[in-house]
Amino acid sequence: MKLGNSPLISLDSIGALFLALAWISPLLFAIWAAFHEPTHAIDFDLAAPWTLDNIRAVWSQAPWLTYLANTIFLVTLVLAGQFLLCTLAGFAFARFEFRGREVLFLMVLLQLFILPEVLIVENYAIVSNIGLFDTTLGMAMPYMASAFGIFLLRQAFKAVPRELEDAARVEGATWMGVLLKVYVPVARPTYLAYALVSVATHWNNFLWPLIITNSTDTRPLTIGLSLFGAPESGVDISMISAATLMTIAPLLLAFLIFQRQFLQAFITSGIK
Amino acid sequence: MKPILNALAAAGTLAATALPGWAETKLTMYYPVAVGGALTEVVDGLIEGFEAENPDISVEAIYAGNYDDTRVRALSAINSGDAPQLSVMFSIDAIDLVDRDLIVAFDDVVESDEDKEWLNSFYPALMRNGQIDGKTYGVPFQRSTIVMYYNKELFAEAGLDPEQPPATWEELVADAKALTKDDQWGIMIPSTGYPYWMFQCFAIQNDKELMNSAGTETYFNDPAVVEALDFWRSLTQEEGVMPEGVIEWGTLRQAFLQGQTAMMWHSTGNLTAVRDGADFDFGVAMLPAHKRAGSPTGGGNFYLFKDSTPEEQAASLKLIQYMTAPERAAKWSMATGYVGISPAAYETEALQDYSADFPAALVARDQLEVAVPELSTFETARVREALNNAIQAVLTGTKSPQDALDEAQSTAERLLKPYQ
Repeated sequence: MKLGNSPLISLDSIGALFLALAWISPLLFAIWAAFHEPTHAIDFDLAAPWTLDNIRAVWSQAPWLTYLANTIFLVTLVLAGQFLLCTLAGFAFARFEFRGREVLFLMVLLQLFILPEVLIVENYAIVSNIGLFDTTLGMAMPYMASAFGIFLLRQAFKAVPRELEDAARVEGATWMGVLLKVYVPVARPTYLAYALVSVATHWNNFLWPLIITNSTDTRPLTIGLSLFGAPESGVDISMISAATLMTIAPLLLAFLIFQRQFLQAFITSGIK
Repeated sequence: MKPILNALAAAGTLAATALPGWAETKLTMYYPVAVGGALTEVVDGLIEGFEAENPDISVEAIYAGNYDDTRVRALSAINSGDAPQLSVMFSIDAIDLVDRDLIVAFDDVVESDEDKEWLNSFYPALMRNGQIDGKTYGVPFQRSTIVMYYNKELFAEAGLDPEQPPATWEELVADAKALTKDDQWGIMIPSTGYPYWMFQCFAIQNDKELMNSAGTETYFNDPAVVEALDFWRSLTQEEGVMPEGVIEWGTLRQAFLQGQTAMMWHSTGNLTAVRDGADFDFGVAMLPAHKRAGSPTGGGNFYLFKDSTPEEQAASLKLIQYMTAPERAAKWSMATGYVGISPAAYETEALQDYSADFPAALVARDQLEVAVPELSTFETARVREALNNAIQAVLTGTKSPQDALDEAQSTAERLLKPYQ
């Protein structure tokens, strides 16, 4: 093999390396700032002493473990609700003929154009009227019937060959059996990819959880992070970097562990 | 009402032992945190102290994000019918809250002479954003002015007297020139985050307020205001003592702490953080004067919401009086760097000791003498946005001060027309 063809120095990999560096630089900066005194946070003096003081200070200023448990519970609940509702809805749109199907589906898609923030006042009224104020369920509910999820699963189900369904039918499977034994397993990569998008979104959600909750017992991680936002005095870069790292660490770890599965899921399902 | 309650209490002593808290008043209060850190614990501590003194009142104090988040939260709650009784919100929200008929005036709630005296016990400059049509709707809690922080070591290096910060625009330019070197700027004044607030400093120093007190008129293209913006612009473009383009609000403290600039204008809400972070000797000064001295006030006030019972209003008043009492105001000021809100706060032993050791803590108070209210009008967010855009366009060199401010003024006039 000639050296010129070596993948190490091809234009493609230089480009990829450059993009990867651009993407990861904010994270690298946060790691640098989180482990240095504020006076060294932006001068990148390699000789500057490393310190755990920021992490310690941030840790003592909010009940992070409670917040972490709440966030995990919240994203799990949202995801479970989304899987249930979007599977059923997506299946109906993909395989059943009924009057007004196209119009209904269009209306579901229209939901994609509405920013959730616009609905905060209305959602607040509904959630508190049904007595779910300051609960994780109340926080999760408005996001369960996700238009994006319905659309995605409908497309995935539509791509499943009819022959598979017919074969299951011959075996005497019911509609539910067909859905669970044929469609859901085939759409597994889509589920995985959608789960990643959903978990990341709700892990980062801030305004709605802040507004619909009162107490530390239900509030998620992002609210702990917001204590360091400091709009009037300006941020303390070291502290907010330490808090940010603490907030994203679990997601980051999960990604590193499940990296292969995630990448495969994205490639096969075609979501970016 | 009180005598009846007392009679009931006397008659019901037996029942009360069996059913504690039978006459309990429940209050919900929202508060924003604008300066960062574990202030929620300080607030929780204050609330616990209040509940211990008033066993018949229970308070749920809810951290509600920054000022904007708190506003969304309060409006959502009111809209769905479970309104809070009181909240700390941005001092400049008052006009809008009154316009929407959501808050009550403190004048209508205070009854005794003692209460009325309390309402008059604050620095008048801090009251002005909350006073509308002769009534008081906002009581100061976390309030600030803009001050000048300067690096005494860099002053000495440049051959300037570290105890003589610039007191006029001319001195500011001269000192800043002496302080500007290859890797160091003379001064930085932030132009993101709150450009209109910084700009109010220049405007009032040139002896012009940006709006009338009713919030129905703005004077953005008044010759004195145009001149003020031209001076701000000249610091970069003619004098070369401030970096070009916009200067970030949020990271300016960091730049100051690392010696990238010898002076900065920033909120007093930053004082404690600068003190904790500086490894050099720094000074705090009132902003330099031109035709006069001056700075706008900033920060958050207490508001009382409508739709609460007289008992709840009385209990809310009690809570606000507790939170704004001199000892608490002193404690809050030391924890945050905010201004102590009443002269009495500065007479407490705690704040006297603190300021004897750290005189910089008194600068913002001294500046209250010449302070003006923060920009607040009807449609205040959109009016503010128009001014912010004008300022940034001028500082980045895309428009002349006259053109940019003419445009901002005509936008403001269009927005304010329905309210005039």
